[in-house]
Amino acid sequence: MAEVILHLTIPAESWRHIRDTVLGQYIKGSLILVFGTATLSILLGVSSAWLVACCKFPGRKFFEWALILPLAIPTYIAAYSYFDLLDKLNPLLIWIRLNISTEVMILISDVIVYPMTIIVLASVLYPYVYLVARAAFTQQSNQFIEAARTLGHGPHSTFWRTALPLARPAIVGGVSLVIMETLNDYGAVKHFNIPTFTTGIFRTWLSIGDLPGALRLAACLMVLILFLLVLEKWLRFGAKFHNNSQSDQSFKPYELNQKKSFLAIICCLFPLVIGFILPLSRLVYWASQTVENVFDSTFIILTFNSIAIAAAASFITVMLAVFLTFTTRYFGSRTINATNRLAILGYAVPGAVIAIGILLLAKQVNQATGWIMTGSLSMLVLAYIVRFLAVAWQPIDSGMERHCEQINNASRSLGVTAIQSLTNINIPLLRNALVTAGLFVFVDTMKELPLTLILRPFNFETLSTKTFDLAQQAQIPESSVPALCIILVSLLPLIWLNLQIRNTEK
Amino acid sequence: MNVLTLQNVTKSYNYNEPPAVNNLSFSCQSGEVVALIGGSGSGKTTLLRIIAGLEAPDCGEVILNNNILNSSTVFVAPEKRNCGLVFQEYALFPNKTVRQNIIFGKGATDDPSWVNELIDITGITGLEQRFPHELSGGQQQRVALVRALATRPLLLLLDEPLSHLDPELKESVRTELLKLFSKSKTTVVFVSHDIEDATAMADRMVVIHKGEAEQIGTSDEIYRNPINKNVARLFGKTNFIPIELIPNAPYSFTEKESNEKVVPVRPHQLQVINDSTNNLPKFTGKVKSVLNHGAYKEVEFKTTQFSLTLHLPKNLSVQADSKFTIGYNPEL
Repeated sequence: MAEVILHLTIPAESWRHIRDTVLGQYIKGSLILVFGTATLSILLGVSSAWLVACCKFPGRKFFEWALILPLAIPTYIAAYSYFDLLDKLNPLLIWIRLNISTEVMILISDVIVYPMTIIVLASVLYPYVYLVARAAFTQQSNQFIEAARTLGHGPHSTFWRTALPLARPAIVGGVSLVIMETLNDYGAVKHFNIPTFTTGIFRTWLSIGDLPGALRLAACLMVLILFLLVLEKWLRFGAKFHNNSQSDQSFKPYELNQKKSFLAIICCLFPLVIGFILPLSRLVYWASQTVENVFDSTFIILTFNSIAIAAAASFITVMLAVFLTFTTRYFGSRTINATNRLAILGYAVPGAVIAIGILLLAKQVNQATGWIMTGSLSMLVLAYIVRFLAVAWQPIDSGMERHCEQINNASRSLGVTAIQSLTNINIPLLRNALVTAGLFVFVDTMKELPLTLILRPFNFETLSTKTFDLAQQAQIPESSVPALCIILVSLLPLIWLNLQIRNTEK
Repeated sequence: MNVLTLQNVTKSYNYNEPPAVNNLSFSCQSGEVVALIGGSGSGKTTLLRIIAGLEAPDCGEVILNNNILNSSTVFVAPEKRNCGLVFQEYALFPNKTVRQNIIFGKGATDDPSWVNELIDITGITGLEQRFPHELSGGQQQRVALVRALATRPLLLLLDEPLSHLDPELKESVRTELLKLFSKSKTTVVFVSHDIEDATAMADRMVVIHKGEAEQIGTSDEIYRNPINKNVARLFGKTNFIPIELIPNAPYSFTEKESNEKVVPVRPHQLQVINDSTNNLPKFTGKVKSVLNHGAYKEVEFKTTQFSLTLHLPKNLSVQADSKFTIGYNPEL
């Protein structure tokens, strides 16, 4: 970030042109996508979370874990799986051109891509909201629901007036992740040809070759993100509602009658179908048609590349996160805590912005030492660490808070050193949290596209870049093979995470 | 007129275990304050939740104001019962201010003067804009009470209303509660494990043990004429002396298990006798141990047949192994 801000002083000749012509489109496109995707994700995530957490209907246990599955599908792969959706509208557009006017047809074809993209993005991003909302509803003290009921409020009123306001801070947290992912997306918006800040940065920098212009766009994007972070903080005001309730009464889900059960199943099935079953089945179908053309020795190499770099990035990120959380909690230093907070902001920064920052840093290192770091794997791993440190930090920090605080105090009073405490006590106790953190980073790295596209060494392909390249060459059926590999690799950790979450909730 | 009637209510959670509530029946008159008293796990809270509609009984009927709330064919949802429930942990919504909590109930805004009066009576004026975590335990309890009463419920249910308060605060809250109950003319059923709270506040008590109503009556009736050892012990340590040794005792009961008739004798009903002409039933023995309680001395006294617990005046000099005669005075 510092690199991006420092380089803003470089004169940008084309900035005036960008500002007067495309900046408005980027702002409009980004805001429409953010607002639409966030709204639809809330609708899908909160409604399914409420049904799964608080109602009893056939298939509830299945939906409980199945609704997480769309997380395994990266946004760009979801977009490719629906690539022909717009084509289906062509007869309608032709009819409009012939019977109304060409202008109306152009207007509709320009506008229609927004709801399409929003549906595609929300269908795979809603699990961020679903997961936190489900946890919030499940962990809510049953007494609040019972209190509302004894005060005369039925299930609907209880949901709107009690359960939802109490879950608000958690839901806002989930929505902010959806927004960050939307702003980070490059593949899907590029596919549907929507002007956003990310596509703008790529176009200005890589197509026009105007780095100062791209830097200014990145700065504008960061201002928008900063505004969203402040908004999130404000909306999560009182995030830890001081709940003194000691009640251990488990929540008794509402028994739904046959008609309502049917509606609940439809409500849970809808996001699962559009976010997972439909894209996956289309990809499987295409893969069965094209696997012979795509699957060769180079495919094995790029699979190995993806797994190896994701494993390296997740291992280093987890180690760094352990070190940072441990030093903060063990020494109780405010300075370390503040720097940690700053470090984990990387997750809010879109991949394209991090990529620019890392490249500028590599240039500085190059100038100072003569080492050519640009286009090296180490820079790519560093970028992954910057972007995904927060992903590893969260489960490790909360695990440390739960398990290690008092034990560390005890070990200090027994004269044990910090390193001994870390290796003999904290790491064994945090085994589950470490695996969870590692899997999170692994999955995110496997799926990451913008960073990999910009920072990868020459001729270094991963599953995500291969999927993107094939899709760009209009070989979408062929791109389904690497896309399916990403989904399959991402699915296994998701199943593990789901089991962990269920155990925690129990 | 009966406001609440329970008939043969039974509730089991696990069919391999004895029922949490077993064939329990009782009723409440309008404006009456009834305590459900019993040890932990006795089923009293389950019973309260059944009345509130938060649990469905396996069988039996719950009737409120002549309306059947539970039967084999009827189940009225909690929100339609018009029963206010004050939870043990108060369950104040942490995201709402005191005022918002109070007016949350259906119909609570219909009569603002009633709400203001409740706020006034309970002394929480000025706290309306605070959040629950900014209140003390006693204040939270009052807010929960006002919230439940603001909807003018037919029946007010309280789950261990005084269990979180320190002894000093308990005294004043008890008085406040009684004032509030009489002012609102509400019928009240409350759960307590503390006999002192129940005695101080309730017009009648239902003693519950293993899910069954062992005895129903006023606190005085239950204190003087407990139906079994378990009920007698609710009021503290009790000696059980065979009736043959005190044939003229005013009250005795037959123990189910041993089929033995015994007289419940409170420790303070036994006194040291120096005058041999005294007509009280007498027991001679020696002191085994003495425990000083400040206001009195608790003495373990052993006769040739059994042990007795006595409460003797603090100024009486008693030492272990000292021998004397004690007499039973039922008038004390």
